Amino acid sequence: MPSFASRFAAIPLLPRRGLLAFAALTLLLGAPALAAVAPDQAATLVTTTGNQLVGLINGGADSATRRQALQAIVDGNVDVDGVARFCLGRFWRSATPQQQQDYLAVFHATLMRNLTANLGDYQGVTFKVGQVMPRDDGSVSVETVLTRPNNEPNNVDWIVSDQTGSPKITDLVVEGTSMRLTTRSEYASYMQNNGNDLDALIAALKAKANG
Amino acid sequence: MKIASLRRWLLLAMSLGVLPYLTACATKPTDPDDLQAYNEANDPFEPANRVFFKFNNGLDNVVLRPLAEGYRAVAPKTLVRDPIHRFLLNLDSPIILGNDILQGKPKRAAATFWRFLVNSTAGIGGLFDVAAYAGVKYHDADFGETLAVWGAPAGPFLELPVYGPSNPRDGIGIGVDVAMDPITWIHNGHGVNAMRWSRYGITAIDEYERAMDELDVINKTSLDPYATIRSLYRQNRESTIAALKAGDDPNQPQ
Repeated sequence: MPSFASRFAAIPLLPRRGLLAFAALTLLLGAPALAAVAPDQAATLVTTTGNQLVGLINGGADSATRRQALQAIVDGNVDVDGVARFCLGRFWRSATPQQQQDYLAVFHATLMRNLTANLGDYQGVTFKVGQVMPRDDGSVSVETVLTRPNNEPNNVDWIVSDQTGSPKITDLVVEGTSMRLTTRSEYASYMQNNGNDLDALIAALKAKANG
Repeated sequence: MKIASLRRWLLLAMSLGVLPYLTACATKPTDPDDLQAYNEANDPFEPANRVFFKFNNGLDNVVLRPLAEGYRAVAPKTLVRDPIHRFLLNLDSPIILGNDILQGKPKRAAATFWRFLVNSTAGIGGLFDVAAYAGVKYHDADFGETLAVWGAPAGPFLELPVYGPSNPRDGIGIGVDVAMDPITWIHNGHGVNAMRWSRYGITAIDEYERAMDELDVINKTSLDPYATIRSLYRQNRESTIAALKAGDDPNQPQ
């Protein structure tokens, strides 16, 4: 359970008169905005993003154009900085401004590289939007079923949150596994085995992104 | 304990894969942030688990990968590999049915029972999934899940030798599933034994072939494939079990 989600899970346990103080405290701590994402807003975002991706994958553009188009889709619809901060967990707070900047840059590069590397596997993909469910932390989960020719259909839930002020995708849950939680435990394990050295993590990510 | 019997015991422990667990335990960190990360990973046997992870990877690369690559090169997917995969799944039906029942899921149990009847006959021993065309899709079930539905906790992460990612609850589950399989109890000479081991072998190749591309992506992109797979395994099990506890949906795939 991510630490900031468990903060919300604790809300029902608080006495009512403590609620105001608690709300003020969560605001101070920089909790996600209390205004929740509207479910149909989230569904629209996922549908348009999905259509853009499907168009890109099945379109016949050359790799440079595709990369550029993908970059535009990601930048416009995904809260990459927010995801990056989440994945670094507690090490984000202790990082120097320079480290934070370097980390964000390499995180963007890593995400783009991983997306472009796997895009070819999705040739001929179609998707269907299913249930849209609000979650306890104010974000919304939009269920989709991805179908690729000659493959079993895959369940992918898109998590939409408006921490940045407008609805943005913050996670993909593929067959019950959250991409950002998986990445977070990958980074945490790397840090643990490398003396909690953030520069080492950034260097390792750079090597992967360029390799 | 006498030296000779100690040595014999050590050999036994080693052959059972127990020794690394006894000798290599992670030390609990004292720093509160490090301690939180340690508890989140829930992996007190990490050093031993990493030894087995390495061993399993080596085994996969030397044995399963060449076989799976050969299988992929020789056998076309829709014509050969998919029917064989369906045939193997159909053989698991008694185990799945048993667990559906033990979990108290009548709809899932009925789906498994009906699928087994239809696919074993009209589907020619399971080569074709006729039941799925009729709208009754395959789902998996195992005794690790059953224990979870009954309220048993998963326990710490375990990388089992040869078998792979697991935990004490799911490890016990594997043993019970084997015991639940009628094929385990057929004793009828060498022919049956050979068939039983062929089935395990073909299942391993089939599963590895199907997972190979994703394993390649993890090994290429992850800074720590062990941590990635540990996290994926745990999340996948947790979401499956949460869905099982919430209802009795025959369309839930796991």
